[in-house]
Amino acid sequence: MGINVYRCLPRFEYFAPTTVEEACSLLRKYGAEAKVVAGGTDLLVDMKRRKSLPRYLIGLKRIANLNGITFDESKGLTIGAMVTLQSVINSVPIRERFGLLSSAALKIGTPQVRNMGTVGGNICNASPSADLAPGLLVLDVRLKLISADGERIIPIADFFAGPFKIAIDEGELLTEIQISIPPPRSKGCYKWVTKRTAVDETLVGIAALIALDTKDNICSDIRLGLGSVSPTPMRAIRAEELLRGKRVEDKLIKEVAVLAAKEADPRSRADYRRRMTEVLVVRAINEPLRNIK
Amino acid sequence: MKELIELKVNGEAYQVSIEPWKTLLEVLRETLNLTGTKEGCGKGDCGACTVLLDGKPVNSCLLLAIESQGKDILTIEGLAQGGQLHPIQQAFIGHGAIQCGFCSPGMILSAKALLDNDPQPSEAEVRQAISGNLCRCTGYTKIIEAILAASKTGVNGERI
Repeated sequence: MGINVYRCLPRFEYFAPTTVEEACSLLRKYGAEAKVVAGGTDLLVDMKRRKSLPRYLIGLKRIANLNGITFDESKGLTIGAMVTLQSVINSVPIRERFGLLSSAALKIGTPQVRNMGTVGGNICNASPSADLAPGLLVLDVRLKLISADGERIIPIADFFAGPFKIAIDEGELLTEIQISIPPPRSKGCYKWVTKRTAVDETLVGIAALIALDTKDNICSDIRLGLGSVSPTPMRAIRAEELLRGKRVEDKLIKEVAVLAAKEADPRSRADYRRRMTEVLVVRAINEPLRNIK
Repeated sequence: MKELIELKVNGEAYQVSIEPWKTLLEVLRETLNLTGTKEGCGKGDCGACTVLLDGKPVNSCLLLAIESQGKDILTIEGLAQGGQLHPIQQAFIGHGAIQCGFCSPGMILSAKALLDNDPQPSEAEVRQAISGNLCRCTGYTKIIEAILAASKTGVNGERI
């Protein structure tokens, strides 16, 4: 199973493409025997555990144009797949307009890991407890995937196929994350509790985005992203419907939280995870409400 | 299988012939004999292997040496200048922040990265900056004191 970590990596052949085209052609050529390496903070650990044994490693660090963060009032936010988690935290537009992503990134790892790990790597590792995923789901982000055959853009909700599985074709590379501006009069946040182990893996992670009507306290939109409580990160669709279009009231928020906990499908520590889902959904809705002007 | 690469470590350029699966940590310790950087967990949790890469703290146990080319690498050996210890090193000694010393290289480099970016951090910011460096011996109190003391040393405008 590999709880233990070998001191050395297994053998592999290494390539350092300088363009996306080169990387995709290598991926196509070597298929299942190849893996791309972004920051290495997940893959290299798996390789040291001998859980992952790619014959070919395709390094992405030398590819230009995957490191950018661009923000535009009309087009929204684009984050290159190789942007590090620390760059997300340092980014002023992200902090000001998409703050729940900054909070989520700050939860991950350590300062060293955040200087190495990437947004694309975190998404594609697809851990059920991944911290960026709930916020990305709530922001309805789109992912740009490029292969030798062309490109496609898919909603992130379609990308998580199972624990550590993504709906990516062999030969495809994630290059960009596209995020539209949230509705006016909206705010979001990310709340979490951890497993209290050495690694502090997230036990329950709740991202919320809530938007209010222009005049009063009618909720024009509510989105809830749940992490670490199901095989893949998920949206609590039915819970959202309870509040959308209704006046915001404590009693209703509590009902939303109870339904979100029911929609969750945790594998282990299920009782506690459902209980904490309820608690965190209430907090995750109330905090942004206090900040909406 | 071996490839000739160039690594810039502590201001010096080294040509080394290594396999692609060698981590930066392995090359620093075993090829360059710079054994100040330590291996603790090998998986990015403990921070004993911390080096600065273009001024940013990273876990050298999870970096491929072959991908560390073209960067400025700073190890603990690169801190003292002309036989003089760096103010952070002096503060660690002066404040009892070193017991067994195993975490110290990584800890001191994380502190240097913090103070280079923010010469007058709050205690909370110091704690956050060393949150990726585990210490089995000291309980962190003296380490945090030393870093805060080192930061106040720089108050007369000297960059530390």
